[in-house]
Amino acid sequence: MKIQVFAVLKEYFDKEFELANDIKDIGELKTRLSCLNQEADGVLNISRFAINNEFVNSDHAIQAHDTICIFPPSSGG
Amino acid sequence: MIRSAYFHQVAEAEIPALSAEPLDVVGLLSQAHHPAAGAVVLFSGEVRNHNQGQSVDYLEYEAHEVMAIKMIAEILADARAKWDLKIALAQHRIGKVTVGETAVVVITASAHRGEAYEANQYIIHRIKHEATIWKCEYFSDGAKKWGGNCSCCEPVQ
Repeated sequence: MKIQVFAVLKEYFDKEFELANDIKDIGELKTRLSCLNQEADGVLNISRFAINNEFVNSDHAIQAHDTICIFPPSSGG
Repeated sequence: MIRSAYFHQVAEAEIPALSAEPLDVVGLLSQAHHPAAGAVVLFSGEVRNHNQGQSVDYLEYEAHEVMAIKMIAEILADARAKWDLKIALAQHRIGKVTVGETAVVVITASAHRGEAYEANQYIIHRIKHEATIWKCEYFSDGAKKWGGNCSCCEPVQ
């Protein structure tokens, strides 16, 4: 699976990277990312996740070829 | 002097929700007239030179563009469902925006001013807090900070 992160999350991870396809759902992905960089834990917990331009919840199942976008809280305007 | 009655009416669907170029605030306003609207409200969110005691040089806006465009369209549609708006449009800058430049414009028009004001607040509040757009502040001392936002944390009705 491919991961894309935005805004402040780029200070903790590469903008785009790949992870092994053994992660079942978004909740597990969040845990895996927190393990990769514990400093990102706080931001990850308030971030939104999207697949195919739709927001998904923690229990959303991840398919092998999904690209998952991770959005920290918005700060437009 | 240009008289507003001579202005063209806006084709809202043709106005891109995101722009990498400076926003034409006056141009957008000049199109935002409708024969049934007695009130036009324009909000221009501009880059100020300070934030929380620090001197700001400029902002950089990043967006997930596909989702941001879709979300802004949905927010405008929601506003139209809540109020009887003759015009509802919004445009947000992306990329580098310097002090004094406009970062976001929201225009609403309705028969009377109450609806136009309320709808305008509703739209800008949701764009700031929901659309997949992020600001990064670049300070005069060389530091930068993602996501510094506004003081408007109370939900809009």
